[in-house]
Amino acid sequence: MAGEEKKLTDREKELAASFQAAKDNLRKCEKQVGMVMDLNKCIGCQLCSMACKTLWTNVEGREYMWWNKVNTMPGKGSPKDWEKMGGGYKVKFGGKVMEPILGKHPTRKEFGDMWKYNWNEVISNKAGEVHLQAKNPDGSNPDWAMNWDEDQGAGKYPNAFYFYLPRICNHCAYPACLDACPRNAIYKRENDGAVLIDQDRCKGYRFCLEACPYKVIYFNFVTDKSNKCIFCYPRLEQKVPNACARQCTARVRWVGYVEDPKSIIYKLVKVWKVALPLHAEYGTNPNVFYIPPLAPPRLDAEGKLDTTKPRIPREYLRFLFGPEVDAALGVMNTELEKVKSGGKSELMDILIARQWTHMFGPFDKDPATLERKPAQPGSFSRNDLTALNNEKNR
Amino acid sequence: MEQIVCKRVSKSKSELLDSTAAFWKSGAKLKVETAATPLANQPSPYIKGVYDESKIGAVKELKLATVHNNENIFFYFEWASPKPSRAIGDINVFPDGLGLLFPMGDIEKTQIKEMGSKEYPTNAWYWRPDFKEMPKNQISHGLSTSLYTEKTSVQSHSSWDNKTWCVVITRPLKISGQGEQAVELKAGGSIGIGFAVWEGSNGERGGIKAFSKEWRELVVEA
Repeated sequence: MAGEEKKLTDREKELAASFQAAKDNLRKCEKQVGMVMDLNKCIGCQLCSMACKTLWTNVEGREYMWWNKVNTMPGKGSPKDWEKMGGGYKVKFGGKVMEPILGKHPTRKEFGDMWKYNWNEVISNKAGEVHLQAKNPDGSNPDWAMNWDEDQGAGKYPNAFYFYLPRICNHCAYPACLDACPRNAIYKRENDGAVLIDQDRCKGYRFCLEACPYKVIYFNFVTDKSNKCIFCYPRLEQKVPNACARQCTARVRWVGYVEDPKSIIYKLVKVWKVALPLHAEYGTNPNVFYIPPLAPPRLDAEGKLDTTKPRIPREYLRFLFGPEVDAALGVMNTELEKVKSGGKSELMDILIARQWTHMFGPFDKDPATLERKPAQPGSFSRNDLTALNNEKNR
Repeated sequence: MEQIVCKRVSKSKSELLDSTAAFWKSGAKLKVETAATPLANQPSPYIKGVYDESKIGAVKELKLATVHNNENIFFYFEWASPKPSRAIGDINVFPDGLGLLFPMGDIEKTQIKEMGSKEYPTNAWYWRPDFKEMPKNQISHGLSTSLYTEKTSVQSHSSWDNKTWCVVITRPLKISGQGEQAVELKAGGSIGIGFAVWEGSNGERGGIKAFSKEWRELVVEA
């Protein structure tokens, strides 16, 4: 256990080195795709969730999964109270030491179970006799789901507030799930850094669900394997943007390579520094970033604008996005003021997103223009890993 | 090396593939001590970092008996299980399990703790209560490499009573010519054997289990 020093044998040292090499190999990627979501624009319509559901999770075993979901904040999210479930890393010594933190498994009811509705009963009875009702598979009444605390928010009228937080897998640079998997089934795709679970290697042990601090991995009870957001890699291979991003009616999401200075992701994250990872303190280096919400100003007792403090308590935004949120909101306010006073702002031009084709870097093809054909398998070679694993085996 | 003798009996498969049969209940059994798998052998930095080795391996002892009828080999196991876990009811629920491990080559060069290596693989028969009495056959070339084979001739019969799991696992001695990747057994021969057991209620799955730390020699009587 962590902290306990035990003298390792030479063989155990050899094994430790080969395990580390295997994980380094699985984490390796030449380029990294990322996504930015502007929380000022999200209207909580769940079109992103439905696009993802239609494309990836409307098959047996995945019904209860929402690889993309929109939660209302402040709220308990999904799975319920996921921020209290642990996982991720304690990062020490300037990022040199990543000490894993014990995580908890969410339950299927905390995600929101696979409800069934009594459609037949309603249809076969007189109007008003039977009400439409949802039931969990065990017969209980559902008491949580993907956006159960919709629009609940916090604060008091007239200064109540809420905002939406769309969530997908963060396709982290240092994925806790990848480190957790004893099967070496989880890897980053070499050409875009998407984190995937090799379904041939996964045996459903669920250490990944324990270790992921964002709780965005699901367990498939039909296949006995773990499933998660795949960053729509088969679409990216066709230069088509992710379904959640392309379907977003509010043009909330941008996609591109994180390290490419020409990409909008790079500009928003590295140049303007207005896009921040969610809970960076979890130590996994997410590649999904959020532009924090400014929210309308407060009203005072007389109903006049009160600009002395923000409507959304800054402390709450710092909890979600770290201390950098102050500077990010400062930049947003400055650039907004520029435009309000008749000036120009490159940042605001980006965020307005007049043309969808400018939002996704190289992934700007309209799927309607593609010849329909099945996606090609990924380029990752299992032989490389097997060779590494066995390199030092006697 | 401790020997486990598999005697030849004149009984049918249907008589022996019954975990409640008096033949098994009243017969002599061998005790096998099991212990936690070492954390140092865990390929996952997460497991190494957060799990406590002293809490792994809830099952401390297996009782076993084995016979063959010249066609099939049978292993009978008993172990205490006050809180049986029969299926994956929820994301945080893990089923119990039992495994038999055989070296496919030179026993001296096959590490039981590492489930073999590329040159010296192992064959495991893996029973779980939710496998519908069709245990998996798997091949491992070292830690984190085990894969189920498509074909399996392993069958089981299991029951839980008096806070005890009773499981019979059987397979034809010979499987050659059937395209199945697995060890060949024969009357008059011998092979190494090891055991593993998972206590689902203790969160045990994968490499988190109790196992017999040393190979034993399974002697299949002629």
